[in-house]
Amino acid sequence: MIGRSKYVAVVKIAWQRELEERLSFILSRSRGLAVLFSLYFLWSALLGSQASVFQYSRRQILTYVLGMSILRALVLGSATDNLPSEIVHGQLSDLLLRPIRPIGYWAARDVAVKGLQLGSAVVEVAVFALAASTPLYLPDRLLTVVAFPASLAGAIVLSFVMSYGLGLAAFWTSQSGGPRFCFELILEFCAGAYFPIDVLSSGWQAFFSVLPFPYLIFYPLNIYLERVGPAVIARALCMQAIWIGVVWIVVNVAWRRGMRTYAAEGV
Amino acid sequence: MRSRGKTYLHVWWNLCEMSFASQLSTRMASVGYLAGKLVRFTFFLVFLFAIFQKIPHLHGYTLPEVVLFFMTFNLVDVLAQFFFRGIYGIKAMVRDGGFDRILGQPINPLFRVSFETVDLLDLLTLIPILALTYWTLAKLPGSLTLSRSFLYIILVGNGVVIAFAIHVFVAALAVSTQESDNTIWVYRDLMALGRFPVNIYAETVRVILTYLVPVAVMTSFPAQAALGLLSLKGIVSALAIAALFLGLSRLAWRAALRRYTSVSS
Repeated sequence: MIGRSKYVAVVKIAWQRELEERLSFILSRSRGLAVLFSLYFLWSALLGSQASVFQYSRRQILTYVLGMSILRALVLGSATDNLPSEIVHGQLSDLLLRPIRPIGYWAARDVAVKGLQLGSAVVEVAVFALAASTPLYLPDRLLTVVAFPASLAGAIVLSFVMSYGLGLAAFWTSQSGGPRFCFELILEFCAGAYFPIDVLSSGWQAFFSVLPFPYLIFYPLNIYLERVGPAVIARALCMQAIWIGVVWIVVNVAWRRGMRTYAAEGV
Repeated sequence: MRSRGKTYLHVWWNLCEMSFASQLSTRMASVGYLAGKLVRFTFFLVFLFAIFQKIPHLHGYTLPEVVLFFMTFNLVDVLAQFFFRGIYGIKAMVRDGGFDRILGQPINPLFRVSFETVDLLDLLTLIPILALTYWTLAKLPGSLTLSRSFLYIILVGNGVVIAFAIHVFVAALAVSTQESDNTIWVYRDLMALGRFPVNIYAETVRVILTYLVPVAVMTSFPAQAALGLLSLKGIVSALAIAALFLGLSRLAWRAALRRYTSVSS
């Protein structure tokens, strides 16, 4: 009980910290709205009076755009952006002295951030969808009810371990901000967070499908939209599991090696 | 006795040198940020090209025309970031007392704050943007007349002036309330709505983007002028909106300075 309660306490504290400057939080959420606006109207213009575009029906593509906004908050929203700074400035020492696993601590903070951002994103998207009278796609297959939450859970875990692993680069360099910025942009595009990656050529799709990125947003949304069959769903879930395993191993190796070099500079 | 203009140019050059030296001392971070900017730009271009493999036009615009809108957005956005990056750090400057030191210097504080940081990475990003913009203008159907080219350049400059005015509003807000971090990013994200022709948005959104947050004036109007689609009324409106925003921003800055009593120094 005590073991679990400390992580719950971390979630609560992180929540309070995020909402300390409420205006900042609201303004930061407005950023997501700008992406939603531009992409929704772009796809509406591309559709025009057609019933479908790029083999997406009107309902499917507009639901994809709305779903993208929600999944950006839930899957890509992260607290581990602060990890490099805490390592570089020696604040990690404070965490190492406490009876809490660092990765568990950061996972708890991530839960808090994702929860807040998800709540906000759902409200934003709901208001937008009502105002725009968006025709939404609702799944009707039993398989989707099982497969979508599973793929979503895999996406959340995969995103967290990748982001955490990237943050550990701070053990070796204080200049990881730039490479992280570049990586996150590549991740967003390849994950389908700006547009479905199947608008690109089959060559690009095949290349992206061996990377972990499409399994964060593109495949979960396509599972929801029932555009893929059981074989593809199974493959997507397997790829998520494989990449989680691979990144988990890298994270553990990086952590052990990082602890050997960590000098708590700045404390 | 050096003229005032030469003095400001000398100060700006010194600020450039210091900013560039700072960025060159963190090469890995700088390369990462530069690569990220180019990745974002490239992926959107790839997306536009991919769309037009299947779709003949977007709201009546062909691929070269849509690319022109996209390049114009990038041109205005990156020019504004290159010149006015200093505003991003004004909140920290106010909080740590650096702004008080600037007020004590014999130079316009708005100038000093705006050009505190000159981003070398944006200068490097401008090179491919300018090249691609020129290439796109050359690819447009029909010939681009001298008058349209001139109008395009004037309206891009007009867009940068509006961007400056918005940065000044943000600076005034920071001096008054020490809140600017997210305000400047709200502007950046609203600006991103100008990536595509503003005609694709609903009427209400178009009006907001033209008169309230004039992203359309900054990004779509120059491209429309180059395509011969902007009326004389549109040109005059664009210049008037820039003049209005500049005037109001100046008033806001002065009011903020009058009320400023220092946060710490």
